[in-house]
Amino acid sequence: MFALIKLIQSLFGALHSEGTPGQLAAGIVLGSFLGLTPLVNVHNAVIFAALVLLNVSFAGGMLGWAVFIPFGFLLDPLFDWIGHSLLLAPALRGVWTTFYNVPIMPLTNFNNTVVLGSFVFAVLFAVPLFFATRYGVARYRATIGERVRQSKWYRAVTASKVYNAYRMFRP
Amino acid sequence: MTAPRPQAPAPSPRFKVFRWKAIGPLLVLLIIAAVLWWLFADTIARHETQKVGTQVIGAKVEIQDLHLDIPHGQVRIRGLTVASPHEALRNLLQADELVADVDMVPLTEKKLVINRIAANGLRFGTPRETDGRVAATSGEGIAGRVLAETREWASQFQVPALQLATGKISIDSLDPRRLSTIPAADALGARADSSRRAWQVALDTLRLGPTLDSARATLEKLRRARATDLSTLNEARQAIDRLKRARDRVTTLDRNVTQGVASLKSGLAGLDSARSRDYAFARSLLKLPMLDASGVGAAVFGPTSIKPFERVLYYMQLARRYMPPGLLPRAATGPTRLRRAGEDVRFPKERNLPAFLVRSAELSFLLRPNAEQPQRYGGRLTGLTSDPALYGRPTVATATGPQLGAGLMLNHVRNIPLDTAGATVGGIRFPAFEIPGVPLSLDPGAATTQLGFALNGDTIRARFAVRSTSVRWAKDSGFASSQIGDLVWRAVSGISNLDVEARISGALHHPDFAVRSNLDQAIAARLRAVLGEQVAAAEKQMRGRVDALVDEKVGPVRARVTEIQTQAEAQVAAQRARLDEVQKQLEQRLRELTRIRLP
Repeated sequence: MFALIKLIQSLFGALHSEGTPGQLAAGIVLGSFLGLTPLVNVHNAVIFAALVLLNVSFAGGMLGWAVFIPFGFLLDPLFDWIGHSLLLAPALRGVWTTFYNVPIMPLTNFNNTVVLGSFVFAVLFAVPLFFATRYGVARYRATIGERVRQSKWYRAVTASKVYNAYRMFRP
Repeated sequence: MTAPRPQAPAPSPRFKVFRWKAIGPLLVLLIIAAVLWWLFADTIARHETQKVGTQVIGAKVEIQDLHLDIPHGQVRIRGLTVASPHEALRNLLQADELVADVDMVPLTEKKLVINRIAANGLRFGTPRETDGRVAATSGEGIAGRVLAETREWASQFQVPALQLATGKISIDSLDPRRLSTIPAADALGARADSSRRAWQVALDTLRLGPTLDSARATLEKLRRARATDLSTLNEARQAIDRLKRARDRVTTLDRNVTQGVASLKSGLAGLDSARSRDYAFARSLLKLPMLDASGVGAAVFGPTSIKPFERVLYYMQLARRYMPPGLLPRAATGPTRLRRAGEDVRFPKERNLPAFLVRSAELSFLLRPNAEQPQRYGGRLTGLTSDPALYGRPTVATATGPQLGAGLMLNHVRNIPLDTAGATVGGIRFPAFEIPGVPLSLDPGAATTQLGFALNGDTIRARFAVRSTSVRWAKDSGFASSQIGDLVWRAVSGISNLDVEARISGALHHPDFAVRSNLDQAIAARLRAVLGEQVAAAEKQMRGRVDALVDEKVGPVRARVTEIQTQAEAQVAAQRARLDEVQKQLEQRLRELTRIRLP
């Protein structure tokens, strides 16, 4: 329940933040990498650093992460299949062999079927996700955004202590 | 805070790509991570080593203490315990201390290259308090699969236990439906009928009647013709050609009949083989004791002798899975995590380092650690690697010491792997073991053991021998009511020396297994002397019962096959004779008319 409330607060916090739709969409895209790919991997450290250092919505990143975690679990068989197909494709064997035998690259676990499959999926999914999110946020703010902001339940949610704690870390 | 416009304006020149103020918190985060690593690196490494070791061996790997000395490239492990994958309450080995010199540069490529390991205080086969088997209980992973395969492999050598008939020997339980001769006879009878019908149809389709009638009419015409009647002569030659073609068809049919008859005779021979199998099956129902020496040896020592082979094969097959030959990409199960593990694919490359390599290891170990004067031994291991084709040399291990000589070579450098192991150990006390099916146990005492094992591709050749001069026999509970126990006891209780040899050879999936010992003849002779007549009478009775059941079916089938054979051969011969007769007359008359010798 706490996680659900946190997610709702995070969603509305991000939607009504001062960031542009583009910043929010970029944050969600970076967050989707954290959610879709297995977390404890080097590339996710880079993604997290980008989320912190780039001028994108950190709240959007947390929201994308939270939203895409279940999709990551659900789509693992698909990621496994994608990674398996790519890693064992004869045409790509030279590329993988080179990657595998240069420093640092093997530490990324790119040679794991789920890691590679989910990362490739996340990269391909990033472009449509970015544009769809940017459009959706812009439409939301232009249409019902202000009415939601004025509603009683929104004020109740944002008035909670959890939300206050969240505001301390928002960008 | 105001909502932005739906069509957000393009970023102003003041728009900043980087959030520089976040560098501070990020650095703090990195420092925290570094401190946590410094605090918990040893613990994490210990847990990971235990996890990987357990996964690889198929039994629990426990480490009391592990220390990473990264500046000096050294890993120090204290209190290593590796449980046995085969025995619940026994360790495979324990080590007081292992010190490994690790090459740090390859770690950046996720490759573990250990230049040297010094292992002190190794002990083998020590007892443990909890069940340390993992592969045997879960059946998962490479170790689980290999363990299941080797168990299945060993199960093919299950030999019947030494046993006597219990109570009155009776074959009332012989069920005719379980005899293989009866369905085989039914099938052969059906096949014979089918062959008869097929041959009759083939004979009818030869259509010899019109050919013969036409030839006879030509013959009559030829008898009245003169030498100048060329059209009649030509007609006669054509008739002879038709007769020859008809004869060829009869010859083909004859060949088919001959082959069919041979097949039916082979079926009859198969019935004899099936009857032999039925005798063996009925004999097994009688639970008669084995009276030949080779059977006795296998029954007494077979189950115990197969275990060393099974265990060595397990480790060799594990080595083949983890150290495969060649340079093709290799997939293995990925790391355990909440998400799906997937598969890790390795891509070995020529002239690069292997993913795992132990260049050399110096081993110091104790045998009989609980003895008053435990003996120290030394060993050496070189070239243990996950990619033998990259390393280019086989893995070699040797161990020497008083009453010990052991060697191992895993040669996976070429496409067909060759694995060999050999050991001679003297003065080892084996635990007493029970004789299968007999309430007796045998304590081999201090014995000399030899093991030779060679696995060349899929061909196995192995030998296990135990020699002892201080054997002790003991009666187990249930001895008082066991007739065979008493018999075997009388045969072997005075024998204090033991010489057992088990051999396996042939294709790995189905090799030959033979066991012999110096006790075989003694036990077999004793059993024959006491039970020979009883066994012979029971076997005779059993054969009579099987014959009575089987002859009801086999007799008619045998007669039917003979009848069909005779009938078919006679019909073919008759048709061929008719053709030959007419052809002969035609040719004779032609010769008379033309005075020309026909070809």
